[in-house]
Amino acid sequence: MVVVQLALVANGYRDPHNFFAFQPFNESSTYAVELVRVLDDGERVAVPDGRWEGYDWDELIDWGPLRSPWRQRHAFSGVDAVVDFLDHALDWVADHSPGDTETLYWEAAVTYYRNARGPYVTVVRSHERELGGP
Amino acid sequence: MTATTSSLAAASWRVGCRRWLGEVFDQPASVRGVAVLRIVLGPSVIWHLRPFLADSLSGITYHDRFQQQWWPWFPNAPTGLYVALLWVGVAAAVLMTVGLWSRAATWTAFAVVAYNLFLSETHFHHNRAFLVILLAGVALCDNGRVLSLDARRRPPLDDRALVWPLWLLRFEVAVVYFASGFSKLIDSDWVGGRVLHDRTIRYQHEVRDTLGDTLADPVLEVVTARAFHWVLSPAAVATELFIAFGLWFRRTRLAAVWVAVAFHVGIEVSAQVQVFSVIGIGALALWAVPSTRDRTLVTPSRWVGRLDWMARFDITVVPGASWCMVDRDGTELEGREARQFVMTRLPATFLFSRIWRYR
Repeated sequence: MVVVQLALVANGYRDPHNFFAFQPFNESSTYAVELVRVLDDGERVAVPDGRWEGYDWDELIDWGPLRSPWRQRHAFSGVDAVVDFLDHALDWVADHSPGDTETLYWEAAVTYYRNARGPYVTVVRSHERELGGP
Repeated sequence: MTATTSSLAAASWRVGCRRWLGEVFDQPASVRGVAVLRIVLGPSVIWHLRPFLADSLSGITYHDRFQQQWWPWFPNAPTGLYVALLWVGVAAAVLMTVGLWSRAATWTAFAVVAYNLFLSETHFHHNRAFLVILLAGVALCDNGRVLSLDARRRPPLDDRALVWPLWLLRFEVAVVYFASGFSKLIDSDWVGGRVLHDRTIRYQHEVRDTLGDTLADPVLEVVTARAFHWVLSPAAVATELFIAFGLWFRRTRLAAVWVAVAFHVGIEVSAQVQVFSVIGIGALALWAVPSTRDRTLVTPSRWVGRLDWMARFDITVVPGASWCMVDRDGTELEGREARQFVMTRLPATFLFSRIWRYR
C-alpha cells in the first residue's frame, strides 16, 4: 500500500486530475467556453446560454465545475482537468440528446487563463453521431 | 577508529530498525487513537453522503447527470439499489460512532463510500479520497476494543491490538500533507504567491459580503496586496511540510499537532473543503503514543479524568493534595509544573498550554 500510494503521488505530476495525489488548490486558473453545434452539412450553430432544440446544457450535465461554462469560471482542479472533463461531457451530451436530430458533433473552444497568464485557447469536440434515419 | 564508529552506528541502526519492526508488526499496543478516529469518521461519513442522499430524495442520482466512469468494468448499481446502499452507509456510520460491531461497520462504511467514489470521476475530491483511505485503515485495526459499545458488551482484557494499521494510517496522513506541500514548493506560481493572490483578487467580493464594507476595506487592503502573498504562500507551503515531517518526531510532534489544528481551522474558514478539516483534525489522534495509563498522576481535581480522552494518565484523585506526576521515563514533576505538563497532554487543553517548555 505504501508503494501504491507513493506511485499515485508521483503519477499526480502526469495525471491532469491528480487522483489520489493530494494536490488541492493547485491553480487559480479560469476558463470560458464557446459552444457550437456542427450540423451534418458543416454549418456551425452557436449554442447561446447552453440551450438548443429543447435541451439545456446545465440540466444535462448538472455538475458544478462545468455549470454555465460560457461564463468565465474557476477551473476546478486546474485547467487540464476541466478540459478533460469537458471533452467527456461533450460526448455525454452527444449520447443524451436523442431529440436533436441535426447535430453531427459538438465543439467547445476553451479560452483559459492559467494562473492569470493568457489567454490561451484549446478546442475539444464530441464524437460524431449517427444521424441516419428514415 | 572511524571504521569502528561507523560500524557501531550501523549496528545500532539495525537494532533500532528491528525493534521498530517488532513494535509495528508483533507487539500489541493501544488502539485508542484509532478508536477516536473511528468516532470522528462516523459523522463525517454521514456529512459526506448527505448531498447524495438529498439528491436521491429529489429523485436524482448519478445516473441522471454527467458521469465519467473510472473503469468500464466497474458495476453500476440500479437506482433503487444505489439509494439503498447510501442508507446502508449512513447506518454503518452510526454504528461506527457508537462502536457497535465496530469493525464490520467500518468496513461497510468504507465499502459504500469507496463504491460511490469510484462510480464516477466526477465524484472525486481529495477529501473524499482521504476519507476512503482513513476508513480502510481504521477497518484494518481492531478498533472496537475501546471507546465503544462493543467494549462494554464484551469487555476485552485491555485496549491493545496489533497496530501496523496505525502506522499505515500515520504514513497516509503524512503523505497528504507532504504531497500537497511539495507540489506547491516546486510550483513557482504557487510558492511565489501568484496562485493565492489571483484567487484572493477574484474572490474578494465574498470577503466584502461576509465582513461588510467597513471591516472589509482594511482587510482587503492587506490581503489583496501582492507583497502579502510573497510571505503567505511560502508560509503555507512550509506549514504543510512542517506538519508532514514534524508529526514523526517526539520533540516536534506537539507543535506539529498544534500547527495542524490551526492550519485546518484556517482552511475551513477560507475555503469549502467538505469533510477535510474534520477528518484531518480527527486523524491527529493517531499520533498519540499508543500506550495508555503509563504516567501516574495524583491530583486534587476531578476534571482531569473527564478530559483525559486519550488515557494518558493513571489518575488518583486526592482532595486537597498537590499535583504530582511521574512521566514514562521516571521524571517526577510537582505542583504547577505537573499541572502544566498535564494540560499539554489533554486534547481539550493542549492548544492553550505552554507547549514550548516540554517535550
